[in-house]
Amino acid sequence: MVQEEYRHKLNKVMTEQEAVSTFLKDGDCFTVGGFLLNRESDCVFREIARQGKKHLQFIEESSTFSIDMLIAIGAIDRFDTAYIPHRQVGKMDGLPGLQRCFNTGDPRPVKMGGVIQTPNYTGNEKPMEIVDWSNFMVALRFVAGALNVPFMPCKSGFGTDLLKYNTELKVINDPFENKPLVLVPAIKPDVAFISVQRADRRGNGQVFGYKGTDEWKARAAKHVVLFAEELVSSDKIKEHPSHTLIPSYCTDAVVVQPFSSHPFSMYGCHGGDGIQTLNTIVPHQTKEGFTAWMNEWVYGVKDHFEYCEKIGWEKLEQIAKSEKKNNVLP
Amino acid sequence: MTNQTASNQASELKGKFSPVILTCCAAARQFIDKEVVFGGVGVSFLAVAISKLRYTPCLIMVTEAGYVDFAGVSSMGSPADNHGAIGASLHQGLFDTFRDLQSGHINAACLGLAQVDKFGNANVSYVNPNIRMNGSGGGCDIASSAGRVVYVVKYAARTFQEKLDYITNPGYLDGSPDARKKAGLVGGGPACLVTDRGIFRFDEKTHEMYLAEVFPWQDEKDIESIKADVPWDLKVADNLKIIEPPNQGEIDAIALMDPGKAYLEESMMNRPVALISMSGRRDLNAYREIAEIFRAKFQQAKDYLL
Repeated sequence: MVQEEYRHKLNKVMTEQEAVSTFLKDGDCFTVGGFLLNRESDCVFREIARQGKKHLQFIEESSTFSIDMLIAIGAIDRFDTAYIPHRQVGKMDGLPGLQRCFNTGDPRPVKMGGVIQTPNYTGNEKPMEIVDWSNFMVALRFVAGALNVPFMPCKSGFGTDLLKYNTELKVINDPFENKPLVLVPAIKPDVAFISVQRADRRGNGQVFGYKGTDEWKARAAKHVVLFAEELVSSDKIKEHPSHTLIPSYCTDAVVVQPFSSHPFSMYGCHGGDGIQTLNTIVPHQTKEGFTAWMNEWVYGVKDHFEYCEKIGWEKLEQIAKSEKKNNVLP
Repeated sequence: MTNQTASNQASELKGKFSPVILTCCAAARQFIDKEVVFGGVGVSFLAVAISKLRYTPCLIMVTEAGYVDFAGVSSMGSPADNHGAIGASLHQGLFDTFRDLQSGHINAACLGLAQVDKFGNANVSYVNPNIRMNGSGGGCDIASSAGRVVYVVKYAARTFQEKLDYITNPGYLDGSPDARKKAGLVGGGPACLVTDRGIFRFDEKTHEMYLAEVFPWQDEKDIESIKADVPWDLKVADNLKIIEPPNQGEIDAIALMDPGKAYLEESMMNRPVALISMSGRRDLNAYREIAEIFRAKFQQAKDYLL
């Protein structure tokens, strides 16, 4: 059950290319750590696109914009989500690729939570399915997966349409007090990609700032890939053991990857890159702009380091400056 | 003051404040010092931050991602925003904050919505015929289990619906007595809906939404037009209260919290970062200039709050 082949290694350092090609297969379900635009592994969406993975399932509580590029190239079959940053971007679509799928079915149609779907679609592509949950529900799916139990109960959502349209949610009367409970099914993603501020080469991952659901994701997933902003010695890890959110026995690979959350932010390491965010969202509003952007920023670079080089390390250091003053890592 | 001068002064104020400022300031006055409050994303977060800055210094702000009891030195683009870490008593996880919610530690929350019905059920997921909204996020959980919910929304006729296209957040469900309790919900339900055309509250017995407070410039004609927008027979409080217009302290607080003008400037393309970025400048100096826009106000807020 545990993947000793990788997890018993004392040195798990590999490149992002190796990690994605080794652990993520076509048809797999994956998640990323972090929460809505902070300490998410935004780099991995670009690498997955470069490797041309298909028929993927993606699950996260509140998602990063970066999922949109995989939706826009038709790589996602099913998207389990509580929140997408779609309608607060100052009158632009946050996920324009999803919007195009919905409006025209290009590259594939969308079926959303059993409520609405791409209208008048006549093509042959299978729709991408969006399944709606709440943040707590998605988190509990990972908790259940981590605890190796089929579900977790909660008290969210009675009387709402989440329970009506998401048929994977069940309501029962609990066997002890005979009162209603919502049951959320477990999930064990094939891969969890988790960005951390620090890791050692054995795979102890330390997280500073908010923790999100990462400790549960790391235990629920079949494979865990850490993107470490910095590779440190095991002695350095042991100086602050209470910050080790992901112990080495959960970890399959450590990718040393500074700015893995770019263009968004990471606590104690860097702020968001407002210029590159706009330089992404604005062109993505049209299909032509999106295609050109992908050719330039994803297919046009070999890996994350070439991407950083293209942004310019001096600019990356600039977005790191103020955050390193505001939130100091111990 | 005669009625005539009062009404003249009121009509002079009309149109002086943007919907964001009106709702944000009115919502900021809905919290009580020392209580524990979940802030949403956007204006709903800003309202709680303004409350803490102006009226409730010991209020404990909580974000879903895991920041607890933080200073609120700047507006947040996300509940995981680095600013939420500053001056915090606790950095925890998302499971932990929802645990604290379901166990009853969260007194109040501030949220946005796209549609609302007579009994305060809210939609943030889908709008017919074909509009995908952001989705629940933690909204469904918070509306299920928080002590009370303050909703903040820019007034629009389409917000008020007889039947929602999708119920994301539970309100008083069908309005019947104890409907929430019978369904299994542990939280208290919606307290009010703050808009730039008044504050709506819920009748204690019938749980029906009514117009409770209006801004000084809203006359009978204005109230009639609201009644016409609302698909049910909207009742107006007998003792209709008058909302104090935004004061300078609140307006200064918003300016301090929003150096990037994410709230003060409605269109993204008119915000300072966009103006620099869209001019085609992407060199190091452009990055430095952007850092400078945030630095001064940020320091000022930190000096004041920490």
